[in-house]
Amino acid sequence: MVELDSSLHLSRPLGPAAGYQTSTTPLTVVIQPQALFSILDHSSRRPPDQHRVIGTLLGTRSDTDDSSVTIHSAFAVGHTETTDQVEVDMEYQKAMLALHMRANPKEVLVGWYATSSELNTFSALIQNHYSSQGEGTYPYPAVHLTVASEAGKDVEVRAYISSAVGVTPERAADSAAFIPVPHSIAYDAADVSAIDSLGGARDAENRTTNILTDIETLEQSLVSTIDMLDRVSKYVEGVIEEEVEPSTALGQYLLNTLALAPKVEPTDIERNFNEHIQDVLTVSYLANMVRTQMDLSNRLATSTLTMGGGPVGGTDNNKEGGDRKQNRGPRQNRGESISAV
Amino acid sequence: MGSFRVPPKAVPSPHVRLALRQETVKDKYEDIPTIPLQRISRKSAMSLAEETPLRAVQLEALTVMKTIKHCATRHPATATGFLVGMDNNGLLEITNCFPFPVVDLPPEAQYEQQHQHFNSAAAAPRAKANTAYQAEMIRMQKEVGVDANNVGWYTSANLGNFVNSNFIENQYFYQKEVNERTVALVHDVSRSSQGALSMRAFRLSPQFIASYKESKFTTEALQKSGLKYSDIIIELPIRLHNAHNVTTFLNQVPRLLSDGTMRPPTSVSSIESDPAITSDDLSPNFDKLTLNIDPFLQQTCDNLLDSIETHHVESNNFSYYARALGREQTKIQQWQAKRKAENAARAISKQAPLPEDEWQKLFKLPTEPSRLESMLNSRQVEQYARQVDGFVAGTSGKMFAVRGNLIPGETGVSAE
Repeated sequence: MVELDSSLHLSRPLGPAAGYQTSTTPLTVVIQPQALFSILDHSSRRPPDQHRVIGTLLGTRSDTDDSSVTIHSAFAVGHTETTDQVEVDMEYQKAMLALHMRANPKEVLVGWYATSSELNTFSALIQNHYSSQGEGTYPYPAVHLTVASEAGKDVEVRAYISSAVGVTPERAADSAAFIPVPHSIAYDAADVSAIDSLGGARDAENRTTNILTDIETLEQSLVSTIDMLDRVSKYVEGVIEEEVEPSTALGQYLLNTLALAPKVEPTDIERNFNEHIQDVLTVSYLANMVRTQMDLSNRLATSTLTMGGGPVGGTDNNKEGGDRKQNRGPRQNRGESISAV
Repeated sequence: MGSFRVPPKAVPSPHVRLALRQETVKDKYEDIPTIPLQRISRKSAMSLAEETPLRAVQLEALTVMKTIKHCATRHPATATGFLVGMDNNGLLEITNCFPFPVVDLPPEAQYEQQHQHFNSAAAAPRAKANTAYQAEMIRMQKEVGVDANNVGWYTSANLGNFVNSNFIENQYFYQKEVNERTVALVHDVSRSSQGALSMRAFRLSPQFIASYKESKFTTEALQKSGLKYSDIIIELPIRLHNAHNVTTFLNQVPRLLSDGTMRPPTSVSSIESDPAITSDDLSPNFDKLTLNIDPFLQQTCDNLLDSIETHHVESNNFSYYARALGREQTKIQQWQAKRKAENAARAISKQAPLPEDEWQKLFKLPTEPSRLESMLNSRQVEQYARQVDGFVAGTSGKMFAVRGNLIPGETGVSAE
């Protein structure tokens, strides 16, 4: 296990059973945003006397050649550091791992994280422990992620794997060579819409924002699109006035984009528009009608069967139903008038 | 890629060792403020609830991301989990969430054993095994400083089809505890994929809880309580909140297209294949501007048909009950008439009259079916109708805009 060779391995360090991995391609780490948010959350609620906190990373490895590790989630593990000793609560880690595997059976242990960028002897110790046989990530290398979030500075994320380095086995146990590996944060379609909503709170004073309704998000998209169009038109004007360097490629690209607007006969447009909007309005009308019918049947079922009696809210609801039908009226009229043209 | 780090030789002296702690670190974290709500007596909890009713829900960014991820990975099956957080003077702050373990059964097993469906995700929040899981998880999280109060549960939904008996029973299970300030968080996966994040928080109304406790949903009970289907659940407004380091992170989230300047491109194909553009996951999202209405309308119509069918089944049940009741009552009346005639005959022949109220032992009146399902169904239809209204508003705006742009000369902008 001890590297007696004096040269430095710059590719992925092989595990002790050297024949196991067939490729030495560099390992890449893909982090999913919710794991990162968990780590940030943990670092913000650490006890005030601890400089950094650690935790375990869970995820999956890519099937084919194990060259990509995806980190799905993370949980915190209690630990204490003094000047000459570090203690990690492994019982807790084992129990939490078991609990976690019940909910996500496909995830495995892939490494650990720390919330400060420094790498010291303690990091090496913990890293060797995580890479070891038994409960570690053996024979795969353990990934070490550092997420540094200090006040006033950017959040720094770095990923490493390690290999043993040392002359004697005792020294090798508490030293490690940390090799940085490329990492990336992968956002799914669902994550993107969440990040957009959360991003709305970026500039607010108390960092809160409401969840926007459909109409409001539509308005936001339109505003941002108009903004982009403004930027492009400013650029074009600049080129025309010869203030900005023209670029034939950009001009060609813009021309291609504008040509995407379809050239359709006006009658075709009218017809498609009418069909489209009638579909939408029909479904809306049907849904509301079903709702009113059910409401009526519910009230009839539980109303008292006296003459002139009936539930108190009955007349109000009928008025509501009437208003709704009236609202539907003008829209339908508009639809009819268009189709008559 | 060539550099690596050797940890500095910080400690010249002894031998550091990695000790494996056997005891827990619970004693170190006692000063973390968590309100031990289990120790509050029922009376003070209720008075707390009366003083400051829950007005709103505040979600941490972490909860949003984890919930969305779990629901998206399990789509289209239901995904459930529980929420932890703290109740802050009428504002319920939800700080974290964890999924429930689910036993993935092969499809055949569900037909064999009826009781196995209890393991399914939809019923997970109230399963006994999961209560233990939840308590265990909360206890472990408390050691690392996460809020240790259970404040509710979350579930995924598909275009609003969450109002069913599983939902009600789960929420009732949470709200009947001593600490009843819990919410159900619903994340609608299909609507979020159309661009706008959809998260809603619900609670059961007090009138409904009172009726559910007695579980009498017969006609007279409903007439007495005046419970309408629209009062079953109440919705609470949600706010999103970011911690400081999350805000820093969001501000620096790499948006490749908006930092720095790029060199002028040399050809059209280099623009289209530029990796900065094609691999930028967070580039502005135009999904909300799409005019594609078919999937939404199709799904809504399917859902409406299902609800109508349920409604029919329920009302058929009820008319069946009414007919059976009528038949029993005519039989009883005939029997009573016969008994009276017999008694009259026996009175003439000086024999003891037979008892007249034996009919209660001879004839059994059918029980009235519960109206709970039909009420839930109506509430579900109302949910669909509201969704469709919102959708129509947005879509008709987009339609008119596109039409105005495409018809030449109409708005003064020509399309070429």
